[in-house]
Parts: sequence; structure tokens; C-alpha cells
Amino acid sequence: MNSNSSSQPIIELRDVVKVYSTAAGDFPALKGINMQVRAGEFLGIIGKSGAGKSTLLNMITGVDHLTEGEVLVHANGSSVSVHRMKEDEIAFWRGRTMGVVFQSFQLLPMLTLVENITLPMDLCGNFHPKRSRERALELLRLMEIEEHADKFPSLISGGQQQRVAIARALANDPPILIADEPTGSLDSVTADHIFELFQRLVEEQGKTIVMVTHDQSLAPRFSRTLRIRDGELDSANLAEADLRSGGRRKR
Amino acid sequence: MSPRRSSPQPVSVQHAMTSADAVIDMHGVVKTFKSAAGEFTVLKGIDLTIYRGEFVSIVGKSGSGKSTLLNMITGIDHPTAGRVVIGGTDIYTGVTESQRSKWRGRNLGIVFQFFQLMPMLTLLENVMLPMDYAEMYDFDERPKRAMELLELVGLEKFANKLPVLVSTGQQQLAAIARALACDPPLLVADEPTGNLDTKSADVIIDLFEELSRRGKTIVMVTHDPSLTSRTTRNIIISDGELINETVAKALPWLRHRHMLEFTKLAQTEIYPPKATIISRDAHVEKFFMIHKGEVEVVLFDRKHGETVISRLKPGEFFGEIELMRGGKSIANVRAGANAPVEVLTIKREDFQRVMEQSPITAEALGKIVQERLKEHRAADSRSGRGLFSFFRRRP
Repeated sequence: MNSNSSSQPIIELRDVVKVYSTAAGDFPALKGINMQVRAGEFLGIIGKSGAGKSTLLNMITGVDHLTEGEVLVHANGSSVSVHRMKEDEIAFWRGRTMGVVFQSFQLLPMLTLVENITLPMDLCGNFHPKRSRERALELLRLMEIEEHADKFPSLISGGQQQRVAIARALANDPPILIADEPTGSLDSVTADHIFELFQRLVEEQGKTIVMVTHDQSLAPRFSRTLRIRDGELDSANLAEADLRSGGRRKR
Repeated sequence: MSPRRSSPQPVSVQHAMTSADAVIDMHGVVKTFKSAAGEFTVLKGIDLTIYRGEFVSIVGKSGSGKSTLLNMITGIDHPTAGRVVIGGTDIYTGVTESQRSKWRGRNLGIVFQFFQLMPMLTLLENVMLPMDYAEMYDFDERPKRAMELLELVGLEKFANKLPVLVSTGQQQLAAIARALACDPPLLVADEPTGNLDTKSADVIIDLFEELSRRGKTIVMVTHDPSLTSRTTRNIIISDGELINETVAKALPWLRHRHMLEFTKLAQTEIYPPKATIISRDAHVEKFFMIHKGEVEVVLFDRKHGETVISRLKPGEFFGEIELMRGGKSIANVRAGANAPVEVLTIKREDFQRVMEQSPITAEALGKIVQERLKEHRAADSRSGRGLFSFFRRRP
């Protein structure tokens, strides 16, 4: 478990610019993002399709290169500048620092649920193979899906698959969880359950969660929301005002 | 279907393909799910043989059992009864889960609608995963082989990218490359193009065609009718039962439940070469669909002797004109000269009842009747005979 105090930033973005060069010209997807995520936050970033949400996450995870600026992550007792690391360093660091969950669940169809979770542990080498199954079962229990451990993904529902995907993201016990529309393809009852599980991860396990979504109505579920539009964050004041009005106010 | 000795000279049923060519052989496969609400039988005794190099589509409505059928082939779920033999291995009898898992890793590639790439691994690493799992190929050889597979699907330039940085179509191509990692003889795909635009879907189907040409067997579940025209064989499942493929081919306009009804009602008749199936002036009491072999529609007259008006092939039908319009046959229909012919027949009253329930089929057949009549008036006038009754179905 990570030690955290709420004033300590765990993720910092400084003047992050991302420009995509296409045949049609340059397209600025992020236009100078400055933001901090505090340890133990459940931060929601809300924006429409094309606003830059996923690009922003790709900058934090280091999956894609940035054009200008810097991303700092202070976790596991070290501070790193994500985009200054080499490719192989970044993959190793990411495996231990961040778990990622997407809208589609990305479980491997030919592996059972428990094997899907032991896989990243085996790849990362964080846990002894004998310990990895045990830990995978613990995570499945945490996600309330342990009874299906030896089933294959296609035999369980979408909501159940997403819970397994979250368990897999937690396999190497990363302090940070990054989620890209994780409830986007789930019905509202199932989505509610996923949110409850996220909230428990924050409260009981001290995880920091950064989630992006296009769904305005989810705003009250986060401990803080930021809004992104055309590659820029709206001012935090407006976002917090929105939060107080239950996310219903339209601008 | 129970063969009935109603034909003049029946012979025993022979299959051209031998079981040695069979990649998938399912016998009496039943799957029953038990729930609080009771038992629900999803597969009701499936018999299915799929041969090497076939590119097979399995279609059916939602809830028809198509995904369950696929799960029986992959060993992802277990049948309640019956036998599934894949590549000569009975995958359920006396096999433990871990043995089956090992078998699956080496013999089966699986592709699903959602691409299921590990998000934190590059495309190359994703393709190497099954090799690690199945312990196939030397450790040092794996990256080279994974790269070759990415080249095969046209993704070599993206080998070191993470999945989120490529398009969904490219992610699916990478998932296919991964399914091929251990060079399995059989590739199983569940709605592989369901999440893709038409252009990306075409690329996937092109690739499947190429793989089947190379001898891979591909079984693909889809609900997209435009894809079934690209496969070498189409299997329809309705309410847990397979529809006879000849019925589906001959009468594609029927609803699945009517096809299933015909599947159950159809009788098999086999005629040796040149045997008469229908004689001139005979009353036609059945609808005929050709399952195997060829039939010849023949006119006789004193001036010209024998004239073969048309040859009908598997999936074509005859007898519809008489059943729909009434009247006697004025031509002979006989088995082709070179091989026995196997036909499926439906009795007049069954045929007419279903036609009444399926106006679309009745209308389509009506058009074919008109065309056949028109086409053959010429032949008719040449031979100097009256209306000719048996015409080839338009291809």
C-alpha cells in the first residue's frame, strides 16, 4: 500500500502539449495542460468525444510521446519524469506504478479469469509464481467474482469481465489506477457496482484513481472533477461549482 | 434426417470426404444450462463435421445457440452429452482441464469481437504471449516469429506500439496474428468484424480467405449476412439445432424456423446414374432439392430424339412448378450420367403449408417459375412440344 497524504501530488502535468501531425496539417490535441492529482483522490476528467481525454491519459501513462512539457509521477518512493525514461524503463516502471482499465475489457479469451490476472504478475516478476495464483484469487475476491475464477471470459457477463479487468490492473499492486470510460459499455446498475468498487479501492486500499468519461452525470461520483474541452482544462472553480450542483449545470 | 426407401433404386449414403479429413467432428452434442428457473437446453443434439481448409460461417439469431456451439469447439464450456473430436482428439473424454488448456494453446487460435490485447504490452509482445504460454518455439526464436505474423497481417511497422495507439481494425489484425502464434490448424472467431467498419471488416475477411487457402480451417460466428457470401460453407443454427445446408441453399428466403421444419421433414432419396426421378405425365407429389450430384431435365420427341434441356446442381431444386401451379410433368428428370444423385424431398402438403406461411418465399419461387417458363418457351418451340415443366433455378 502506498503511503499518502492528501496534500502530496502523486501526478503532475506541467504545460503538456500534444500535437498530432497529419497529412491535413498539425492538430493540437492538448494545448498546455497543467494539473495535479493528489494521492488518494478519485479524480474524474469529463469531456466530449475528441476533447483530448484519452490523449491526456496516454500522456500520464507514457504510452504516447508528448510534444512539449513534462509529466512527473511521485510513487513507490521515487519521482520520475515519465517522458524522459527509455522505452524499456518506462514499460517496467509502468507495470509497477499504474494499472489501466479500458471500456472494452481486454481479457485474453483463451485464459481463465485467474490466469488472466496471474499473467501480468508473471510478466512483471513481482510475485513468485506460487504466490501469484493466491494473489489473483484475493483480487477476484476483492472484486466479488472469486466464484468464477476458473471460468473463461466469454462465459461471464460484461460487468463481471470488467471487474476481472480491474483485478488484473491491480495485479502488481500499483498505487495508481487509470480508467478510460470503464463503465461505457455497461448498464447503469452494473456501472454503479463498478463505481462502488472503485470507491472502496480509494478508501480501503489508498489507491489513486484517474478516470475519464464523456458522461456528465457521473460527476457526483468522483472526489473531484476536471473538465476538458478542445484540449484545455476548464478552470477548477467551474468544475467544483458543477460538482456542488450535482453536475447538472450546463455551460 | 431418416432416409426412406421411397426411391426406385436407392443406394446407401456415401460421403466423399473421409473422417481423416475432418478437423471438427461433433456427435449428438447437447448443452443444457441449469438455472433457478429450471433447465434450458441450448444445443439439442448437434452433428457437425468440418473439413480441413474449409472457411465456415455459423449464423443464427441471438439466442440460437451459436456462441455456445463455438464454446463446445474451443473447450471453453463443456457439453452435457455427446462427443467433440478435434484434429483426432476427443477433447472432453478423459481429459483434465489443464490438459485441455495445453491442447488449446497449441491447436486452436481464438479471435473475439473485442480484441483483447493486453493494453500494457506492445503488439509484438501480445503476439508472443501464446508462445510463452504454450511453451512453443525457442525463447530467442519467438520475437522473429511474432514479427513474421505481424508482417502477414501488415502491421510490422507498428510492432512496438501499444494497442491504444493503433486503430480498432489494426487491433483486430494483431489479435488474429496472436491467434496464429502457435501455428494452430484451426482458427475460431466469434463476430470478429462486429466492432469494425466495413473497410476494416473486408481486410479481416480477405486475411481469413488467404489463411484458408493455406490450409487453415476457419470457423466464424457472425450475424452479418454479407460475410456469409465470402465463406466456403454456411451453417445456420436455429433454436439449438442445425439447419440442413441443402435446404438453406435451395430456399434462402425461408425463415429459420421454416428451414428447420423442412430439415426435419425432408426425406433423402438416392438414385444411381441415369435413373429416372420423374417421368413424363406423372403427377408430381414432392418438392425436390439436390443434395449431391446432378440431374438432367430431358425432352423426347420423334423428330429430335432426346434433348437435355438443363442440368441442375446441388442446392438447386425442381418440382416447384407442378406443386405451385398444378398439373402433370411433361418432361423426364433423371440422375446425371456420371454419379449417383442424392435429393431431399418435401411432400406436397408440407411444401404448400410452409409456402402459405412464407409469402416471401412463395413470391420468389413464383418469379423463378415465370423465368423458367419464359426461358424454356424457346426450347419448347424448337422441340415442338407443349409447356415444359422443369426449369433450372437461376444461379
